[in-house]
Order: sequence, then structure tokens, then C-alpha cells
Amino acid sequence: MSLPGLELTQPSEERSQAPAPPSQINLTPGSEWRFEVAFGHIIKVKLLNGTAELFGTELAESQTYTFTGTKAAIFTWHGCALEVTAVETTSTTSDGVTPTVGHGAGGCQSEYTAEETPMVEYANVHFALETMREEAQSIGKDGPRVLLLGSENTGKTSLAKILTAYATKIGRQPLVVNLDPTEGMLGVPGTLTATAFRTILDVEDGWGSSPMSGPSPVPVKLPLVYSYPMQSPLDGEGAVYRPVVSRLALSVTGRMAEDEDARETGIIVDTPGILGTDKPGTMELINHIVTEFSITTILVLGSERLYSTVARQYDNKPTSSATAAVFDEHISVVKLSKSGGCVDRDDAFRKATRESQIRSYFFGNPIPSSSPSSAITLSPHAQQLDFASLPVYNYIVSSADDEDEDEYDPSQLGTGDSFLPGGGGMDDYASQETKQDPDRAAPLPGVVGSFSEHADNVNANANANSSSSVPLKKVLPPAPSALANTLLAITHAPTTASPAEVRDASIMGFLYVADVDVDKGKIRVLAPVGGRMPPRAIIWAKRWPGELVGLVG
Amino acid sequence: MSGLISDEIAEDYKSSLEDLTTNDGIQIRTLTVIAKENTEHAMAISRVLENHIRSTPPLQKLPALYVADSIVKNVGSPYTLFLGRNMYQTFMNVYTLVDGNTRRKLDEMLNTWKQPAPGSLDTRPVFPPDITRNIESALIKARTAALQQQQARAQPDILSRNRGNGTPTGWSNSSTPPQNMSRPPQNHQYPNNGYSNSTPPQTHRQDIDLSYLNRDVDALIASAKIDFANSPFNPVSQQRLKALVDLQAILQKQQLAPDQLKLVRDQVSALAATRPPSVGPNAATNGGPAVSVPPQIPTPPAQPVSQPLQQLLNHNTLAELIKTTASRQQSTPPPQMPAALPHMPQYHQSGPPPPAPENPLIAALRARGLLPSGPTPPSLTPSTSTPVSGRSNLPFILPHGMQPTPSASSQTQIPPNGSSGVPMSTASMKIPRFGLIVSLYDSRPNRCGTCGRRFLTTDEGKEMKARHLDWHFKTNQRMTESSRRAQNRSWYVDERDWIKSREAGDENGAADPQTTAEGAAGADGNTKQEPPKPWIRAPNDATLRNTPCPICQEKFESTWSEDVQDWIWQDATKVGSRVYHASCYSEVTKGPAPTRQARTSTPDSVLGKRKAEGTESPSQKMRIKTEI
Repeated sequence: MSLPGLELTQPSEERSQAPAPPSQINLTPGSEWRFEVAFGHIIKVKLLNGTAELFGTELAESQTYTFTGTKAAIFTWHGCALEVTAVETTSTTSDGVTPTVGHGAGGCQSEYTAEETPMVEYANVHFALETMREEAQSIGKDGPRVLLLGSENTGKTSLAKILTAYATKIGRQPLVVNLDPTEGMLGVPGTLTATAFRTILDVEDGWGSSPMSGPSPVPVKLPLVYSYPMQSPLDGEGAVYRPVVSRLALSVTGRMAEDEDARETGIIVDTPGILGTDKPGTMELINHIVTEFSITTILVLGSERLYSTVARQYDNKPTSSATAAVFDEHISVVKLSKSGGCVDRDDAFRKATRESQIRSYFFGNPIPSSSPSSAITLSPHAQQLDFASLPVYNYIVSSADDEDEDEYDPSQLGTGDSFLPGGGGMDDYASQETKQDPDRAAPLPGVVGSFSEHADNVNANANANSSSSVPLKKVLPPAPSALANTLLAITHAPTTASPAEVRDASIMGFLYVADVDVDKGKIRVLAPVGGRMPPRAIIWAKRWPGELVGLVG
Repeated sequence: MSGLISDEIAEDYKSSLEDLTTNDGIQIRTLTVIAKENTEHAMAISRVLENHIRSTPPLQKLPALYVADSIVKNVGSPYTLFLGRNMYQTFMNVYTLVDGNTRRKLDEMLNTWKQPAPGSLDTRPVFPPDITRNIESALIKARTAALQQQQARAQPDILSRNRGNGTPTGWSNSSTPPQNMSRPPQNHQYPNNGYSNSTPPQTHRQDIDLSYLNRDVDALIASAKIDFANSPFNPVSQQRLKALVDLQAILQKQQLAPDQLKLVRDQVSALAATRPPSVGPNAATNGGPAVSVPPQIPTPPAQPVSQPLQQLLNHNTLAELIKTTASRQQSTPPPQMPAALPHMPQYHQSGPPPPAPENPLIAALRARGLLPSGPTPPSLTPSTSTPVSGRSNLPFILPHGMQPTPSASSQTQIPPNGSSGVPMSTASMKIPRFGLIVSLYDSRPNRCGTCGRRFLTTDEGKEMKARHLDWHFKTNQRMTESSRRAQNRSWYVDERDWIKSREAGDENGAADPQTTAEGAAGADGNTKQEPPKPWIRAPNDATLRNTPCPICQEKFESTWSEDVQDWIWQDATKVGSRVYHASCYSEVTKGPAPTRQARTSTPDSVLGKRKAEGTESPSQKMRIKTEI
């Protein structure tokens, strides 16, 4: 439910304020300016003099950079002066979030200068990796494969960006692997991706943009995308996550074998924060990743406990690479400080981030009132499809987070068994809604019980069409109304593919279901590319990123 | 009322609240019990609670609000009074900041507030109706505004009627009856101590125009029918229609008490805002609760105000209340970092770092033997036990030998990529190596003014920069041109193409897109010698542009051609006045197939027949992707 217009109820003095005048921020060498800009609010940052970098990517002097819905930091090695300006915005964003104008410079929600940063450490990681790359180059082995671990909000992705940016800056070409389904890289959430970075990262937009039919001011990046439409890798006991990771690793290894630049530079693997927690099953997943990508270097951010656990298990152990014995390759586990600038991104912010990722996949990145040259507006194609003709698959797994907790429910207060004066009607409604969908929390036979053996089976039979073990079921007509407002991932697999093949197939694009006509069996979708729908198997991203209301207005 | 004790309790309560991060029933119950046991400090606790709800992150607002809900339901007065006063601001503040799911929960909670506390014999609603009504009407207004913004099915005759704003007569804050302060703490259950049987006052006596209501319901039913007719299988519209029809029946058959009518009316107004979830509570009104509330003859509330309450409500406290609320509305200033943080050492931009100055601290440490006195060179592979002081911001408290050797940072000795045997270990990461930063900046002084890319000063670097600038120029040119045309996201490549693709980069791509493109596709890498594939310039005429290929009935797709500097249709040929896909045409005519060559040069794919641009031949696509 989106509710724009809520601000009508609370006339705020802040909103009527004139935009703040540009403010200048002077940074001493080795310090950084941390800022948070709410969604719907826009600031412009200009580097007046000196050098400055945002997550490793250098800012050009006198160029205007536009930020919205960002929590980031601009660091300087040499000292610099920045100019920050607020941009007059329309009062609401299209997704109903009322922009909160902060009191900081340029109307940032929060902004301050920090002199204590872990940038020395992070730069050292880059130099150490560079040492390894040079060594690898000289003796002909593969470049370092780096795994970033840490719980939520420890700066894993930021560090991944820094390492990527530094590597590309000196002419390297790292393969960056995103194993975090909660946030997309060069695409929508609910995906696992791999991308070779040779060109500069987009300062304004994180990683940059995937290819479009038109030109882009920042060179586009070409990701390889796999669908993992679940929030947590632990969902379904990892029975889906593992094979997808394996498949991704296979492709990455294939690229490494053929692409000399990628081979010398190595891999940077970013992981979801849940792997940095002590939930049961995380170590198995970490082990899986370490093995599949033949990780040489594990960087642990923030957590002492995680570091000691991981170090005990991997430090100085030979890598899983086939040439590990030849080159005497050992895993090193390194602990890094978490930046004091890491802020908690609450669910609302993360949700807004996800929505903006989906939005920009279809509509480009038209930041209002930024320079027209950098704004790219994309025009997706709306079309109506016959649901019965679409081979749509859905994952049927139980979520790791479905534990029923003792929750406080205002309508259930005084849970006398019979006497419920406090609005049970809403619950009836909710339960009816769940009933429409009997598949949702259906336990998966065979997966829940003997976990480890089963997982091994899955690995062994990853490509063996063992469809019984793949929790991927075809969604048969009639079109479920829950399709509305969700994403469909078009795989590269043919329509006749087995569930295992569909699971392992890379993704060619996403459809957004705007409307479901249950009666006629039609769905109205938004497709990135016009023309006939490619006859491919489709995975329904029902669980994650889930519903996005109001993409089509 | 001792202010001191109040403060203490408030402080305790605050810290307990801060521990509440999830919707934890036990914690909420505990907090309720604490509030119940400290009713004499109700004002302080209420203030703390309000403050907490306001300042806690959005994710934790719902549980905090649940505490308030639990307190007013289980304890009641005086909390109802204190919390009720700012409930509008508190509630709206929360409502604006949370996501849709939480909003639904808030709606549910709000609905329970309009009814008596569960288990209580007191038939008055949890909060006085004017509070809930104000919130509701604000929400309805917001939704209406949202709806009007979307220009969705307007229902002017319903929405334009201003309702719900009238404050009911006969109710004021001071009339809140004091509830039993010494109520024993019990979860879930209201004790039946007979006290609350005392004349449940009629909450309001607002006249509700029954005919208005009926008309509204009629209108809603009509629109629901339309909805239903449009999508008969949409369960939401089904339920909605059914609920409305039920409601109408009840309205016509039964005499409802005014407060029930009001509930119905509120629901109708909520429904008028066409929000499906409000169907639920609506069902509730025509179900059990309606019957369980005995209709009361309106009696003016004349509750005796107890002594402590009067104390609470004297001028000073009120002023204080207002003051605290006002001050609370100012948001906290952005945090400032303490200025006492150690500074990063200054060093020259281009040169090697100066030798470590004899810091007095270092000298002192050295004098005490804590640091090696000379430049004793430690091994370059420090073990984890190396007593490097863990903070990276104290670079100078380090043995001399650990400093980056100044000579090493001179450009001649540093390889362009600037690593000089940095070991990968935790201890090694802490050692500042400012000399190496040079490799990221100063060793590449040749800087692009547009995107900040740096290039070497070598001839090769200069050439790369020239090509890079060329790329910028062309991109800008294309950006201006392409802004007139609709663009779209391309499909992602499949595994095979991705493995075969090579990141062209901008510094070598712009010179000869064709070469790198074909190289990227894994073809022979030099298509220059190949005969050109058939293409035509994309027609400017709109109808012609939308005319599909007569053979396969698929539309043509425009691609930008670097060579032609115009939009073209790949794999297209014009025969007479019609445009065909060259491949289609040659297939049909079996003519001299210029496309056969094209096809062999294109890697085969899962798709049997493919057009160069229609179904993403990898080679074509790759070029567009990497070059543009």
C-alpha cells in the first residue's frame, strides 16, 4: 500500500523552507565525508579541488555528481574541498515515500566528517592483492580469489566496490561476484551475478548500469545473472542456493580460463550478511563458496567471533584450486576493521533501495533535475501475455525465517478463547488470503530431513535432471492473482527444460507483472525489450524481491 | 509526585524500551506490567514512551507502539489520557515512516482502539473516539489525495463529502474515567472486580444521518459491482462486494446504536477510499462485537475526576507537557564526530612520505624501551602476534623499519601498479603505506576531466587517454541524439556469450568498435574483411517504422551504427516498397544469400532461425552493449 499525500496531514515548516545554499566541506587528508540522502531528496556534490574518491572511484574535478537514496562516504587521501547543494524536489516520490529533508549540508539526513577511517587497511588489501596478482602473473597461476564476509551493515559491498575500483583504476579487470540476493548488482534483487569490471564504476549509481539499447555516460557493465528469488541463502536449507552458486562458479571459472585479464586479476566475492551470523548452516554455505570459487583470501569485516571461526577452519589451508598443490597455494584469512561510517540501513531504506533497483532496471535512472546528459530514461514495453503459454516455475521451499515467534498482536489482546471483541475480522481476511495459495509454506519432502547428505546429492546431481530434488514447480493455469506486482525472471533455458536446468539457467531479463486477468488467463507485463516474448522458461520471483506496488502507474 | 523518582523510573523505562527491538510479546507484557505498577509516574512513563516511539528507527516503531497499545488496553487511565493527547502526532509520525505491511498492522491496531478494550466490561472504546477519528480522517484524506493523484476511479460524491472531522460533543479529556489503579498485573485478562460496571458513558452523541449512510453504502455497492464485473475472480472485490451487501442488510434490518453506526460509518468512509483491506474490520462490525455491545442510552459523561488526576492536570503539568512535546518535535542535530580523534599524518602529495618525525610520544616510548630504539628491520612477514598497535590511525607508533621506505615510493622503483610485496595478513593490513597510494594517484597524473579516470604519462597512456576522450565525445553526441528516441534495457547475455565476451573498455573500444565487437563475440576477431551484412537506414516515417517484416511478421529493431552514424535496421533489405528481413527474404527466395555468410559468422544459438537484431544475435548485441 502506498500512500503518497500523507504529508497533507502534517504541514511541516521544514518543507516550506527555501533550499539551503551550497555549503563547502573541507576534508583533511585521510578523512572522509559521510552523508545520508533520503529517497526522494537529491543533493549535488562537486569536487572543488584536491582529490576525492567515493568507495574507491575517483571523482572528477568540477563535475557535478547527483545522489539520492544513498548512504555513502567521500574519502580523500590528499585533502579536498567539496561543494554540496540541495536540489529542489517534488514533494513526493512516485513510490510514496515522503522525502525527509534533513538538517545537514545540502539537506542531507545526516552528514559529518570523520577522520578515523579504515581506508589504510582497505588500501593495503588492494596492495596485497596486487602483490598476489603480480606473483600470479609471473608464475602463470590464477589471480587471487577474495571472499568478503561479515554480518549486515559491516561494509562488505562498500569494500568490494573499493577493491574493484582500485583494481580497474590501475588497469586490472576483476570478476566481481555478488552472492547477496537481498541486493542486486547491475540488476534487480533476487539474483546472483558475476561481472567483469574493466571500466570505471558509476559514482552516482553504485556499480553502474547493465547494457541498454542507447549510450550511457558511464560505460555499461555486462553481468551474468542467475535467479535466486529468495531473501536468505538458508531458505530451503540452502538446497537452492548451493547449486546456483555452483553454476555461477562454473561460469566464472570458464571465463577465467579464457579471459587472460580476468585470470590475472582474480575474483572478488561479495556475500549476504546472513553468512556472517552464527545461524545454523552458514558455515556449510561458506565452505561451499570457498570450495566452488577456490578462494585464496578471506576478508572478515568487523566480527571477531566470525574471524576466529573462519580463521580456525581455513587459515593456511590449501585452496581448492586444482593447481593449489603445484603452486603451494594457501588460504589466508584476514581480519579488517569495520568502518565507523557503516550505518544501519533499516528495512524501509533497504526496501526503497530494492524498489529503486527494480525501477531503474525498467525505466532507467532519470534523476529529476540532474543534467539531462546523464539521465537515462528507458521505455519498457507493456504487453499482454497468455498465461497458459508461459512456462512459469515457482520455488516451493520453506523459509528459514518462518519461525513462529510469540508476537504481540493488538487485535489478539486478551486471547480468551472465545471472546474476541478486538477485530478478528482482519485476521479472517488475512487467512483467506493465505489460503488462496496452498503451496506457499508447503514443506518440501526430502529436503527438510537429512540435510547434509541431501545437499551432497544435489551437488552431485546438479545437472543430472534429478527433477524430484529441485523444489521448482511449474505454475499451472489459472494465473494466480498473486502474480500481480511481482517479477518474472526469463531464463535462457528452453521451455522444455527440466527443473534442474531451469534453476541453473542464467537470466536474460525480467518481466514485471502489472496486472493479472484471472478470468481470461492473461497477464499484462512490462518487458525491458519489445517484440515477441522469447520462448524460454520463466522463474517467478514471488518470494523475493516479492511485491512491488505501483511500478506502473 | 516526586520528580526525582519519576525521573529515575522514566530512565529505567527508557532503557527497557530500548531493548525492545522486535515484536516480542513477553517484553511488551513486561513493559505493560511495569507501567501498571507505576501509575503514579504515568506522565513520565508516557512521555518516555512517546519519545521512544518518535525516535526509534522505523523498524522498531511498531513494537513500541504496541507497548502503548498494551498499556492503554490493560492499564487504561491515566495512560489513556497522557498517551491520547499526542496520539495523533505519534501515530501519524509512525505511519508516515513505515512500510505497507506495518501500516496494515497499524490500521488493525487503530481499529481495535475504536472498540472497548477486550475483556473489559467497560464498553467505551480504548481511546476516546475523537482521537481515533482524527487519525482516521487524516488517513482517509491522505488516501483520497493519493487516489486523486493517481486519478483512479474517482468517486466524487463519496469522497468530496467531508466527514469525520467533527469533534463529537460531550467528550473532553478530563472526562476520562479513572480506572482502577491498583489493578493487579495480569496478562491478557481484565479482572472482573466489578468496578468497571459503573455506567459506561456514551462515547459520543453525534447524530449520524442514516440516509446518508445508506446512500454511501449504495454507491459503494455499485462501484464494487463494477469492480466485480471487471474481475469476477479477484477475491478482494468478491469479498468487498459481499461485505457491503451484508452491511446493507444489517443497516436496513437492524436498529444500531449510534456508536455502532459510527463504526459502520467510519468503515464506509474508509471503504470509500477504495482500500480493500478495510473489508476485514467491516466484517467485524456486522459480526459478534456489534451484538456484544449493549446499546446505551446516551448519557452525558459526568465522571468524577479523582484527586491525583486533578493534580496531574494542573496548569504547570500541562505547560510542561506542551513544552516537552514541542521540544520533542525538533529533530536531533546530526551527530558530530568527536574532534579528539587522532589525525592522519600529513604527507606530501607527490613525493615520498617524509621520514617519521621524532614524535615526542615516540621519543618517550623509546626512552622507556617500548619501542626499538634504532631502525631494527623487522621481518616483512609479521606474524599475527606482532604487537602492532591495532589502530591504523596511529601510524607513527611503529618501529622504524615498518615505515614504507621512502625510496620505495619513488616512481622509478614502484611498478606502475604499485605493490612492493605487501603480504596478506591481518597485521600487515594495519601498516600505513602511504607511499603506495602514489600508484593510485600520482603515478597516473594524466586525468580525464569528465569522469576522473587516470592515465599514465607514457605514450601509451596518452594514446589511451585520447581514445578515452574520444569515447566521451562520441557518447555525448549519441546521448543527445538518442534522447529523441525511446531506449530500453537490453537482455542479459547467456553463459556462453558471457564467458566469450571481453570487456572492451572505453580507451580502446572507441577507436574501432567493429573489431572489438566481433572479438568480444568470440568470432574470428576481424570482421572488417567480411562482406557487409545487408542493412538499411531506419525509416523516419512512423508507419513504415512500425510495419513488420511481411514474412515473419516481426518488427524491425533500430540499432545505432557507428560507421553510418545513423540508426539502421540490421539484416533488412528493401524490395520494392516493402522492407523484409534479409534472412527471411533470402530463405523464401533462395536467392543469393548475402546472409548466409552473415549467419555462419554468427555463433549458432539455441534458436534456430534468428535475425541479427530481432532475437539478439550475440555478436550484434555485444557490440551495442560494450561499445555504447
